[in-house]
Amino acid sequence: MIQALLDSVAAAALGLPVTLAIWLAAVLAGMALGFVVGGFRFFLPTAVVWPLVAVVEVVRGTPFLVQCFLLYFGGPFVGIDLSPTMAGFVALSVYGAAYFSEVFRGGFLAVPRGQLEAARMLGLTRPQTVMRIMLPAMALGVLPSLANLWVILIKETAVLSIITVPELTFRVQGVGSATFAFAETTLILAIAYWGLTELTAWAARGTERRIARALAA
Amino acid sequence: MSETLLRVRGLQRSVGPVQILRGIDLDVMAGEAIGVIGPSGSGKSSLLRCIAGLDPLNAGDVMVAGKPAIPGDGAIGMVFQQFNLWPHLSARENVALALRLVRRMSARDADAKAEAALARVGLAALVARKPGALSGGQQQRVAIARTLAMEPRVLLFDEPTAALDPELTTEVLDVIRDLARAGTTMLVVSHEMGFVASLASRVVFLDHGLVVQAGSPADIFSGTAEPRIRTFLQTYLSRVAWTQGGV
Repeated sequence: MIQALLDSVAAAALGLPVTLAIWLAAVLAGMALGFVVGGFRFFLPTAVVWPLVAVVEVVRGTPFLVQCFLLYFGGPFVGIDLSPTMAGFVALSVYGAAYFSEVFRGGFLAVPRGQLEAARMLGLTRPQTVMRIMLPAMALGVLPSLANLWVILIKETAVLSIITVPELTFRVQGVGSATFAFAETTLILAIAYWGLTELTAWAARGTERRIARALAA
Repeated sequence: MSETLLRVRGLQRSVGPVQILRGIDLDVMAGEAIGVIGPSGSGKSSLLRCIAGLDPLNAGDVMVAGKPAIPGDGAIGMVFQQFNLWPHLSARENVALALRLVRRMSARDADAKAEAALARVGLAALVARKPGALSGGQQQRVAIARTLAMEPRVLLFDEPTAALDPELTTEVLDVIRDLARAGTTMLVVSHEMGFVASLASRVVFLDHGLVVQAGSPADIFSGTAEPRIRTFLQTYLSRVAWTQGGV
């Protein structure tokens, strides 16, 4: 049993960097994409953005596992032939972007209209208004929702083990399959993910404090 | 004084089935201060928002110095009832932002100009404060400085003291009056009748989306035969009298 635990920890140590790298990359890409999509949905008329709305709805309305399968196993039929890790990164980014876009759209909606009218009268362009006025105004408000998604996305990386991404779950489950020590390996997995999410939540709280201080100063 | 700076012709605006402005004509000469008064819902604020280009027109046109006015082209400046300052920026940054981004001034020049504009509204000592650390009257003066610094041809004031506590209105009204005396071309929508009378070279009375009468303050406030204006002023005066009787 001790041996199984030690093997699990060793496997976790191998998988952890992969999990972290995919998660971080997907969070950054997903937030960037989600910010753009949320901005388009806020600023552009429905007639123009409805295809985006449809994509967001489909991504939010289907299980992440199914999306991974579709991309990894279905992708090659339409010329999208990705490595497991690349497919995992793309799938997680798109999945995250759908949710991030809604968070950012809510943030855009929460900025008082008058502040935008003032910017418009003074001649600020739309991108200037977004970056200089709206982003700071909504930063504090959207942060808890963003942090919530960061944590959710960490846990969703476990799904990527199904398409053989050599991340945390894949590695540790390998130990389980080889030794049948499923309880021990699963325990290590749970602890690893819990540690990661706590770390994320802690980082988010720090960021929140820093933004609050910057806005108040 | 003779140049027509702002020219409004046949301005109409509807929201759904409701006609808010039903054909407004207005000429404002350079250096004139126009007071716009009228009952609630008469279309005063809509008129300013249409002139500013913030609300779309259904008919008519607005020209500033012979050119159609487009929001943000620098021709028209607007001061809002709710100030609309950007809360994450200091007073100086609120004023300097458009100078830097739109006028392409260096940070140092923009800051200097912002501080000069803030000094003009009596806030030289508070340039580093954020809006949350300023009183309503101070916030509105920052908003005036922010608009002023961009040097618009025409300034629009949309009920600039309506969101302020009574004891804070004077400091804002004094600033606007000083600007009018200095020859700033402006349209002021206000419910402060004494202020409008003392400020305006001309007063426009609006009701149900039409100009009922336009004339000198004396024409409107004491000489009018127009029953709607008399009723409006009597209501206003009785409210003031009641306030003073109550003190």
